[in-house]
Amino acid sequence: MNNRPAFSPEGLTLGIGLIAIGVLWTLSNLGRVDLLHTLKTWWPLALVLWGSLELVDLAVRRSASREP
Amino acid sequence: MSSLPPEDQSPAPAAPPALPPGAAPAAAPYVRLPKSPGLAAFLSLFPGLGQVYNGQIARAFVFFFAWVGSIYLTASGHEFPFAFMIPFVYLYNMIDAWKGATAINRRFLGGEGEKMEEDAVESPVWGGSLVAIGLLVLLSNMGWLDLDRLAQWWPLLLIAVGGYFIYGSILKKKAEETADEQPPSL
Repeated sequence: MNNRPAFSPEGLTLGIGLIAIGVLWTLSNLGRVDLLHTLKTWWPLALVLWGSLELVDLAVRRSASREP
Repeated sequence: MSSLPPEDQSPAPAAPPALPPGAAPAAAPYVRLPKSPGLAAFLSLFPGLGQVYNGQIARAFVFFFAWVGSIYLTASGHEFPFAFMIPFVYLYNMIDAWKGATAINRRFLGGEGEKMEEDAVESPVWGGSLVAIGLLVLLSNMGWLDLDRLAQWWPLLLIAVGGYFIYGSILKKKAEETADEQPPSL
């Protein structure tokens, strides 16, 4: 636990997800995109992002614990 | 898995009693533990709430959405796997809340070295399966993959999980054998 990198995967995912929803919602208010339709199609990207960050986090911690 | 904020809500014992593992905790002065496992499990009667109490927000989200999602999918005509998932998710959610609170307490008592509870997080399986599930659902949303036809392959998951358990038990055996010189006589 000492060799945690400077980010937490789930926190980063929540942040990026909220920003993405904010951008989409703004665009939909401007009439550019259909918010619900877009979200319905693309929400699994959040899972992909979270999983990738989790893998990156693991790799960083492993290499950090190998060479202290 | 979640980065927990430092637990300092108890009345700050100047030096937290660093019990050597195996020491009798009865000898220690009364310390207020940061989390109550019972309360965590009780709060998780509403899935996710116990994890929120433990400060594990991401786990809370996962359990809440796994619960809601399996109910939704059951109601929308996919009874077969998902109706069985509901009790599993529900009970595992309560157990997880209990174990999470216990782990926080143990860390508070100075068991920083023990991280056996985090084995699952230490393996790439967790992140990898998140990516895989995300990609599967995304592809099906784009219409490039028919999840209903893919669903008949679900027993392969059992095979994969079984293989993973076998792999894990072999690794554990090896680790035990290398840890102590003579293998345990079982």
